[in-house]
Amino acid sequence: MAVLYVICIMKRFNFYFISCALLSLVLVLGACDKDDEPDTPPQTTGTVHEVSIYPFFGADSLYLDSVYQTVEGYRVKFTELKLFCSEIGNSGGTIAVDAALFDYAYSQHRFCSFSAATGLYPNLSGYIGIDSLRNHADPSAFPTSSPLNIVNANDMHWGWNPGYIFMKIEARVDTIDDGSDLFDHNVVFHVGNDENRVLFGFPSVNWKQENGKEIARIKWDLAAVLQGASPIDFKTEFTSHSAPGQEALSLKVITQTAAALSILP
Amino acid sequence: MKYLGLFVLISVLVWACRKDKIQFEVTPYQLQIPGHFPAMQIPADNPMTVEGVALGRKLFYETRLSLDNSIACASCHVQENSFGDPRQYSEGVNGTLGTRNSIALINLGWQQSFFWDGRAKTLEEQILEPVPNPLEMHQSWDKTVAKLSADQNYRNEFFIAFNASEITKELVSKAIAQFLRTLISANSKFDVMYKVANSIPLSAADQNISAQITPEEWYGFDLFKSLNDGDCFHCHNGALMQVQKFSNNGLDFEPADLGRESITGNSADHGKFKVPTLRNIALTAPYMHDGRFATLDEVIEHYSSGIKKTEYTDPLIEFAHQGGVQLDAAQKSALKAFLLTLTDEQFVKNKAFAKPE
Repeated sequence: MAVLYVICIMKRFNFYFISCALLSLVLVLGACDKDDEPDTPPQTTGTVHEVSIYPFFGADSLYLDSVYQTVEGYRVKFTELKLFCSEIGNSGGTIAVDAALFDYAYSQHRFCSFSAATGLYPNLSGYIGIDSLRNHADPSAFPTSSPLNIVNANDMHWGWNPGYIFMKIEARVDTIDDGSDLFDHNVVFHVGNDENRVLFGFPSVNWKQENGKEIARIKWDLAAVLQGASPIDFKTEFTSHSAPGQEALSLKVITQTAAALSILP
Repeated sequence: MKYLGLFVLISVLVWACRKDKIQFEVTPYQLQIPGHFPAMQIPADNPMTVEGVALGRKLFYETRLSLDNSIACASCHVQENSFGDPRQYSEGVNGTLGTRNSIALINLGWQQSFFWDGRAKTLEEQILEPVPNPLEMHQSWDKTVAKLSADQNYRNEFFIAFNASEITKELVSKAIAQFLRTLISANSKFDVMYKVANSIPLSAADQNISAQITPEEWYGFDLFKSLNDGDCFHCHNGALMQVQKFSNNGLDFEPADLGRESITGNSADHGKFKVPTLRNIALTAPYMHDGRFATLDEVIEHYSSGIKKTEYTDPLIEFAHQGGVQLDAAQKSALKAFLLTLTDEQFVKNKAFAKPE
């Protein structure tokens, strides 16, 4: 207002004139549609790191429903491969991902991703399985974005207190070498329960830069699972739901799975 | 100076004539999600509103969605049958029969695929199909929209719910989807049993119900979960009593209906169908994708001794090699008693889901 008066005095303009002119300007400008600026999503700090899992059968890439041959001569088609992992981080104890679900049929190689400073994760370790506290928590209570929420966990939860299924291997096997295809022998390994949570680790991770991201690829060698420290014969060892009496096979499957994980060059 | 007044007048007129958008403020709809259920994910482009739900409910019962104005969604999804169809095959316009039994509409907000073969990924997508389907309502969406648009009340209601001056099929679908998401069933005896099994605290009402659960019903629940008995839990699991997957449950050696394979083209999906919920199972006969089983007894018998094992049979049906789980009479009775605990009487009598007056 002070400026207005100065102008009036200096220019000898009528104050009324100035006020009306300013009012008009305000009215015209106010008639213009003011579109809100779209919100800009907050920028994440650090570089996106993506970890994916590539199933193999020995030297061959493994595809679901394709045929592979075991050392016993059985022909096998894997139909489900899932891993429920947790506390994925570096050897210094920094956790990057608190839970991640790998489901080969549903989301192919995708496993987990996180943002971090480059070089913070020269190594990775984690668990196949969920810690006891969360394993027995209400799966409906986790945030909807968490893999542990029952909507995301889906059939990787037993629906009652025993909790989550830590890993699944399902397959159809033709155990008879007679030249005809009959994949009628089913393999079902559903491993869970607190005591079967196992550690996995990669002392050195070969992060590759692709499209502005840091990428690491894990190899899960199913042939190595079968030919591990204690070989698994699909003909005689073909089912475990981690029930009483199945402890030994459950532990063998998950332990040899952890040992069969490695970083792809 | 004399032009100043004119300038002010013009400015005022410009201000007065600016096109403010006339908007009706919708009321957010507060879904009542049971404590033992996960949160429901609502699509960002179709938030729940009171006005949208009301419109969707009206459309669900609207026979003008069909060619001869005889059939509404509610004609094949009957509330007293938990929004399923008590007929083996639903009848469309002119009495044409469908090829599959209508799925009961329960807890749809938690589903990840729709139809027995999962060909629709979202509820909004699923709703678009029955109207033009010659076996169902047999009316083009253009004609359907024209009929609704000729109704002043609908024009008003769509404007209020969506700020839309024109009715489109997408908006019809969105409204019905909003209503369908309110069809939540979670008040059965089983829900109390589930809470007990998962150490979830019981309310006073739950405790009252818990006291009424019989030993046979508990035994049936044990059989249901047991690997060596019913072994049902692999597919019918959790508070929703289903997992999101497709399964070949050994109905046929050579299925006439390829199911999921007809959508994916993958032979591994041969004869697979969406695993349905077991909620309100006592009310949703007949059973299976083609309604072949009229009673729960027949269903139990199928899993007990009627499995037809092929290489496509779900590997989780682990006793398929012997025809099934081989339950004795007492076990079948207990299992059936448990299945009856899944009935939610409140759901089928809820006036909020009934035809609007």
